[in-house]
Amino acid sequence: MNDVLTIGGKQFDSRLFLGTGRYPNPFVQNQSIEASEAEVLTFAIRRVNLNSPDEDAILQHLGDKTFQYLPNTSGATSAEEAVRIAKLARSSGLSNWIKIEVSRNDKTLLPDPIETVKATEILANDGFVVLPYTSDDPALCYRLQEAGAAAVMPGGSPIGTGLGILNPYNIELITEELTVPVIVDAGLGSAADVTKAMELGADGVLLNTAIAKARNPVKMAEAVKHAIKAGRLSYLSGRIPKKKYATASSTVNYISK
Amino acid sequence: MRLHINGETYDLEVATMADVVHHFQLQKGLVATELDGTIIDRDRWDDTELRDGMKIELVQFVGGG
Repeated sequence: MNDVLTIGGKQFDSRLFLGTGRYPNPFVQNQSIEASEAEVLTFAIRRVNLNSPDEDAILQHLGDKTFQYLPNTSGATSAEEAVRIAKLARSSGLSNWIKIEVSRNDKTLLPDPIETVKATEILANDGFVVLPYTSDDPALCYRLQEAGAAAVMPGGSPIGTGLGILNPYNIELITEELTVPVIVDAGLGSAADVTKAMELGADGVLLNTAIAKARNPVKMAEAVKHAIKAGRLSYLSGRIPKKKYATASSTVNYISK
Repeated sequence: MRLHINGETYDLEVATMADVVHHFQLQKGLVATELDGTIIDRDRWDDTELRDGMKIELVQFVGGG
């Protein structure tokens, strides 16, 4: 099946964006990445711990495979801070893609919509491939597309909660209305949630905790890979309408009595 | 000279940004730098001269979602 995902002029066979935080160790992380067949990996940008510089340097563990790196602006509480982090990330020379993540609430980590739109506009005009993490509001997602987002990433539920897709109606409206790819980001907890997102018309999903904190991250990575394919095929095939009463699968004529 | 790096104060025998990266034995390809609020790209590390009291940020990619 030739069904590629195109973002920022790049084509991907995989529709999974995989986070790199919270795995039990680098070995399990690498095994999980491999099992997931993800081609896009997300990262955060943080100060180097100068007492132990190698401790957190995630990229040294990744080996030779080429990935599309998607750094995020987590920790930013304003558009200004997000822009600064994005520019620092780009100056690493590793990627001009940026996941905008701006939150002013530590408890929910829900994205601040106004600052997210501002940052999207500034960074898209500055040549970044901008993928904003946003709340699941169709009108807001549309505004992010207009502001120059290369893809829009509405959350299913708050980061790390595993609550799945709390408002499937909104997610479906978003996938219907946007012309840029829609990546459901945050809150997905299992393969079933992933299939649901894809059946609602998402072009891809972004997961971290669901895989990193599963009892068996490597197997969950594989499950998610299949769930994406199942959900995507189901979406492309078209589900039957829901009806209140039964329809027999066989004709009721000619029954021997 | 006295420098403020990642929120701590250090007395280092350095002249340029490249010297600072070298001093902490950081992997060049993985680190991004900021000097007094201005990003310094890697190809400018060698000729970015430092002065006493300057503020430096050294950041890198870490695990995240």
